[in-house]
Amino acid sequence: MKYFEFTNPTKLCSGKGALDNLAYELEILGAVRPMLLSDAMLEKIGSLKLVVDALGDVQIGRIFTDIPRDSSVETVNRIAKEYREYGCDALVALGGGSVLDTAKGVRLLIAQDTDDLLKLMGCECIPKGKDVPFIAIPTTAGTGSEATPVAVIKNPELHIKMEYISQQVMPDTAVLDPRLTTTLPPRITASTGMDTLCHAIEAYTCMQKNPVSDAYAVAAVRLVRQNLLRAVRFGGSKEARAAMANASFLAGAAFGNSMVGVVHAIGHALGGVCQIPHGDAMNILLPAGMLFNKKVCRETYGELLLYLAGPEVYTATPARERADRAIKEVIRLRKKLHLLTGLPTTLQEAGADPAKFPEVAHAALNDGAVIVNPRQVTYDAVMRILEVCYGE
Amino acid sequence: MKKEILNRVNGLVLEVLFRSFRVLYRRDSRVRDEIAGWEDGLTLRLVCGPGGASLAVCKDEKNGVRRLRRGQRAQITMRFKSVEGAFRVLSGQIGVAGAYAAHLFTLEGDIYQTMSFVRCVDYLEAYLFPPFWSRRILKELPEKQVSPLEVYARILLENKC
Repeated sequence: MKYFEFTNPTKLCSGKGALDNLAYELEILGAVRPMLLSDAMLEKIGSLKLVVDALGDVQIGRIFTDIPRDSSVETVNRIAKEYREYGCDALVALGGGSVLDTAKGVRLLIAQDTDDLLKLMGCECIPKGKDVPFIAIPTTAGTGSEATPVAVIKNPELHIKMEYISQQVMPDTAVLDPRLTTTLPPRITASTGMDTLCHAIEAYTCMQKNPVSDAYAVAAVRLVRQNLLRAVRFGGSKEARAAMANASFLAGAAFGNSMVGVVHAIGHALGGVCQIPHGDAMNILLPAGMLFNKKVCRETYGELLLYLAGPEVYTATPARERADRAIKEVIRLRKKLHLLTGLPTTLQEAGADPAKFPEVAHAALNDGAVIVNPRQVTYDAVMRILEVCYGE
Repeated sequence: MKKEILNRVNGLVLEVLFRSFRVLYRRDSRVRDEIAGWEDGLTLRLVCGPGGASLAVCKDEKNGVRRLRRGQRAQITMRFKSVEGAFRVLSGQIGVAGAYAAHLFTLEGDIYQTMSFVRCVDYLEAYLFPPFWSRRILKELPEKQVSPLEVYARILLENKC
């Protein structure tokens, strides 16, 4: 019997009116003066106001919206300093992956009572510190950051991406309110949705997978199949939006425990070297990554066909063909999203410079996701995947 | 008593690991390239469980790695949660990737830099264990650039410092 660990201490508040209970959720966490983190865009489109209104009489210690697209150590330090100066006692983070990762970094600094994030880098090495109530309110359905023990924060001075894998960064509560995602444009909905699908598929096939993470992963895949195209076509559908938000949380909880593999390793590197948006990279790389891993994942991909295509297709497909059919289903979904939104399906369309591929390959090999990929990832293999995905 | 024996075995294997790092730095271009890519003066520590054996090394231009002075802080520390878990890895029952997946160790420091160290250990294991054994713990068996017998002989003769 293989040993495994699973952790997901985050309380989930999801669905219609989820945001309305925000003040209550803070109260039961013992917070009276939260710091609110978000970004300028969410302030502009009114999402931040929704949260401020939901807080009602709660005294907000400080609202900080100057968070850049990529979390950086400088921003985290600045926010932690202000948190202390303004006498805040909790964090409420409203935004995408960048805002949530920034909040995770701030929580670490405050909880561990330090001003140097460098000291805390690593994996499962941070002890429980001071209690800092933390509520995450995602505004995209993709990163799943509200359910993961992972935070990535850039250190431009040292030219490194500081990675933290620790239970201590997980929010106490995640609030998924469809009102916050109905305004997402179709293209971003498609891109972030494919990120969710990629989290779920990689979670289901990585070496750290376990029966509990599997349950979360397949539930996420099913929700994506049933709702992603609907959320893209009918952005105002609160049902589709809520389902995709749930899928993102489930996939986050799955990969937060089983980790992700080669698709994410290359995707992270493409983001760093070629500035390809993460969701777009996942959409481009996923089928090629699956083809690469098929040699050792034939059975698990075959199992995923049930959730990717439904019971009729699954039963009608001979067992030996299910893995290939599962990959075809992903390609088919990708094609539809491309037609609907123009989401790029090749690195060429996404504007990647092939001259930078060797740099991308080196960066990908040093990504932590490589270690749990089910098949050995080599420089040559990454280069081959990149060439195939370039699309010539 | 059992823990004490495992501790001793772990200490012995760490010594073999240290020596094989130095030997393969000279004999295997992939290990040499990996170590050459490490930040100058990079320090790493492997700790085999609470109160267990440990190995601390520093990047060395001439021999790949050299021992770190006692008490010197390492930039990267791989700390096994238990003596037994460390034994499973060091005795070749499970590979580093498998150990990571099974949460057998924690990591303090930069994950990106650690990946190169992990690749080196994979190369080392391919030499130290017979192929039928390595296949069980490695995802793929890397090609050997030098005979394992030669590696063993050089490990025995390798200077301790």
